[in-house]
Amino acid sequence: MSRPDDTAPDDTGPRGELKRLSPLSPFVRGWVFFLALFGATWQNLTGNDVGFVLLGLLGVTVIGIGAGFVSWLLTKYWIEGDELRIETGVVFRQSRRIRIDRLQAVDIAQPVVARILGLAELKFDVAGGKAEGSLAFLPLAEAGRLRATLLERRDRYRRDQESPAHPGASDVTEGTPAGAPASGQLSGASAELPGQASGQLPAQPDRLLAKLDPGLLVVSSALTPEFVAFGLGGVALGVLLVFTGSVGSFSILPVLVGTGAAVYNRLNRFYGFTVSDTVAGLHLEGGLLARNAQTIVPRRIQGVVVSEPILWRAFGWARVEVSVAGAQGGDDESSFSPTLIPVAPLAEALALAQHALSGLDFRSVPLSPPPRRAHWCAPIGAFFASAGLDDSTLVSRNGWLNRRTMVVPHRRVQSLRIEQGPWQRALGVADLEVDSPPGPVGVRFRHRDATTLRPVLDHADELARRARQ
Amino acid sequence: MDSLFSPPEGRQGAQWRPVSPKLSTARRLVLVPGVLLVTIVAAVVLLVSGIAVWAGVAAVLGLVVLAWGWFVIGRMTRNLGYAESADELYIRRGMMWRSLTVVPYGRMQYVDVQAGPVEQVFGIASVHLHTAAPGTSARLPGLPREEAARLRDRLTELGETQAAGL
Repeated sequence: MSRPDDTAPDDTGPRGELKRLSPLSPFVRGWVFFLALFGATWQNLTGNDVGFVLLGLLGVTVIGIGAGFVSWLLTKYWIEGDELRIETGVVFRQSRRIRIDRLQAVDIAQPVVARILGLAELKFDVAGGKAEGSLAFLPLAEAGRLRATLLERRDRYRRDQESPAHPGASDVTEGTPAGAPASGQLSGASAELPGQASGQLPAQPDRLLAKLDPGLLVVSSALTPEFVAFGLGGVALGVLLVFTGSVGSFSILPVLVGTGAAVYNRLNRFYGFTVSDTVAGLHLEGGLLARNAQTIVPRRIQGVVVSEPILWRAFGWARVEVSVAGAQGGDDESSFSPTLIPVAPLAEALALAQHALSGLDFRSVPLSPPPRRAHWCAPIGAFFASAGLDDSTLVSRNGWLNRRTMVVPHRRVQSLRIEQGPWQRALGVADLEVDSPPGPVGVRFRHRDATTLRPVLDHADELARRARQ
Repeated sequence: MDSLFSPPEGRQGAQWRPVSPKLSTARRLVLVPGVLLVTIVAAVVLLVSGIAVWAGVAAVLGLVVLAWGWFVIGRMTRNLGYAESADELYIRRGMMWRSLTVVPYGRMQYVDVQAGPVEQVFGIASVHLHTAAPGTSARLPGLPREEAARLRDRLTELGETQAAGL
């Protein structure tokens, strides 16, 4: 999609101010190279020998800086009409246009070096296609401003499209067939953004819902299977060294390093994690060295799962993940499953889960265990299985080592299914499964009484039908 | 068939609509040559190696597999059924592992109609209903070609009028 280097406005519509990225961007991208250069220089200087290597590197550096500068000079972005336009490229010019009303999410990421320099990358997630874009790097404040502007504009366009003149036009962004009538869902969604005056930034400040306690993160990470393995590995290494004195015992070192890295990753990813409620949706942010931010639109949440690993249960901790419908379009159906909170006291986790389900009270849903005879087909599992439904949600709880409570609102049910194997049929039990888009959530009523399960299915189906209308 | 897998009540035709018996024929037509080929090759190899007893065992085993496959195909086809209610498509399937799937028309993302070479010979096709959930296994093989086309058109039409998005 190369385009001659004209930046003359060729379209109607208000044309925004031309902007450039931070001049430090090339440095952030090429910092590894700079590090290498510095190392090489140091070696050369201490060796009192200004050799060819240094000269070569200097030459490359000059060229690199020059190229970086030219690239920076030729990279521009601006808002024109309902599009964000980005022009890049020195030899091959590229001009990317991102339709603002198609934006699903605008995320802010800060890799380590960028964070030191106070820069951030803006990533764009566009509905209905793989075409994504990013702006790297902008000053953090600038990135936040641009993000707010884009999201605010997007919401305005969408509201305009929902006006009676174009019923269902915004359905396109939801992946349903074009021209479909606006469903109750969408009007519900626009009701989620009440009283937002168009043309200006939302007045109400972001409301902080949860803040991860760093101490809790560290302690809970120590109670994960990875970390226990890490500890055991360390002890084993020590014992082997003491008793054999052999260097060969270092062979378990890679295992140790691997598990250590897993624990470190968790700390690095979630340190200082916060969840807040914004006009655009749930805003997640966190990270130790590199900070990442993500916004989840509430109406795209398909279900939540509250996990209580066995080592956490004694302390009453839980983790909450949500399943979010991703980019639409046939087979390349994808979805991402953000962690809403990596660890929190159970009550707080449940409250957060409920908030993510726009306030549906799933905790009051009566859960019942499968009949006693189900133990013949799931001797252990049947002790830990329970399920139930009320007028708004379907809930199932399964698992002993990791107890997972999964919740799907009736209005998010894709399809319902009864399954029965030969052994289950002999015992008069069957499973009821709720199909959800790909993600961690899959509500399943395990080993329920077969004679009452069909009425349950019909009831759930009736509730789902009403919820869709 | 027990009440767990009974057709939807109170709507037009509280009956499962069967698929074409030609589905059995088509599947058996694939099964028989495959099993026979493997059996004959195994038996000949064993015979040449001079262990005639095992060649006999292989032949008997092949025949048992053939008979079992023949029977299973017949039962699977007979158990396969669908019913269209006002808002959902019901699909019942399976012999040992049975399932009943209820797919609301409004959840439909798209419909596929497929017909392989053998199916084409018998004038049948399969209709595959896709939702946003990969777990939805709403696949109906063995529909007569006109019925497949009719079902596809109806599903598409109902899917559009009842679209519920995600």
